[in-house]
Amino acid sequence: MICRDARLAIGAEPHAVPPGLAEHLTGCAACSQFQREMLALEANIRRALAEAPLAARTRPQRRFSTWSGWALAASILVAVLSTLVIWTLRPAETLAREVITHVNGEPDSWSSSVPVAAPTLDGILRAAGVALDANSNSVVYARSCRFRGHDVPHLVVKTSHGPVTVLILRNVHVGAREAFRESGMTGVITPAPQGSIAVLGRGDANLDEVSEQMRRSVRWLSQNPHAIFP
Amino acid sequence: MRNSRPETPVSCHERASLAADGRQAVAQLFESLRPELLRFAHWLARDRSVAEDVVQETLLRAWRSRDALKDPAAARAWLFTIVRREHARLYERKRLELVCLDDGIEQACVPVAHSPDGELQTLRGAILKLPLEYREPLIMQVLGGFSTAEIAQQLNLSLTAVLTRLFRARNKLRALYGLSPAPEDASSEGLP
Repeated sequence: MICRDARLAIGAEPHAVPPGLAEHLTGCAACSQFQREMLALEANIRRALAEAPLAARTRPQRRFSTWSGWALAASILVAVLSTLVIWTLRPAETLAREVITHVNGEPDSWSSSVPVAAPTLDGILRAAGVALDANSNSVVYARSCRFRGHDVPHLVVKTSHGPVTVLILRNVHVGAREAFRESGMTGVITPAPQGSIAVLGRGDANLDEVSEQMRRSVRWLSQNPHAIFP
Repeated sequence: MRNSRPETPVSCHERASLAADGRQAVAQLFESLRPELLRFAHWLARDRSVAEDVVQETLLRAWRSRDALKDPAAARAWLFTIVRREHARLYERKRLELVCLDDGIEQACVPVAHSPDGELQTLRGAILKLPLEYREPLIMQVLGGFSTAEIAQQLNLSLTAVLTRLFRARNKLRALYGLSPAPEDASSEGLP
């Protein structure tokens, strides 16, 4: 056996010493030294492999490159802008849906027929910072409801074509008239001097006429009488 | 005249009980080997999550084929073989997430609490850096206890090729210890 073959055999199987190799080692000090070194290395390899390579961790975390950093920043920017756009251009349909949901939550309101006492109605309106310059005998239902975080007068007005619900939304601004139809109801939301007015009906009532009448009758008080500070 | 004792009939219940005992014994045997299999897979895959997947798949396959295991003493080598095949199949089946090797090694060399020896950590990092063609036979030999002939058979290589790869693997690790590596031309790899 020549040195090249001997080192190949030692490197491949450090512990194995076949007869040919043993004979070579007895006469070759360099290969014997090589074998001793490889046996020492082998012992360390066995010790090294005796444990799993990773210490209680899973995948290595990726290092962010400049590009991935920019990509992340761009993604965040797009997300923020999208949210802003969606919030700013939130369609009236969403408002309409909220109005319908609210009205559906008070189904008894449609069946009221007794006119609401004037002081009660006045109190509910004033709590929302509005007043009504009209005959209140036609208002058969009046509640002060929370809507989008504010007290809102929820009224039902009796008309010749059936009851009509009115929500005076002092703090909800809309850009233009929006009509909708859902859940067996038709409705219209119109801009008002200091907010908007939602009118909903289940029959043939002329909602635009009721809406215009309310817009003319509602007086927007300069300040909320319930406010602590003027 | 009937002198011989009649054979004790084995009821269905007893047969079922014996089969259940056998299944339990195999399950215990497999489970006892899981840590070794996981370590083996871990060194192959260099990723704990992948290693766990490989071992899980291995044990599942082994369980389905448990009838093929006639000798419990052969279970270890049998399971190691399945681990290696599953690992190879994983790479055939899908392209794994690629990571910067240096990052992986850097992370991999986080000191282990019960093995503070820095030299061993360095050696572990070096083993991980070995190309799979060198690392795999080395791990099979050292951890799996496979002979060079068995490695050649499993890797579908010639015996000379396996010897060469083992030589080269250790020769590369020698450099870590400041030892002069043996000339690489001492090991011209034979064709598989």
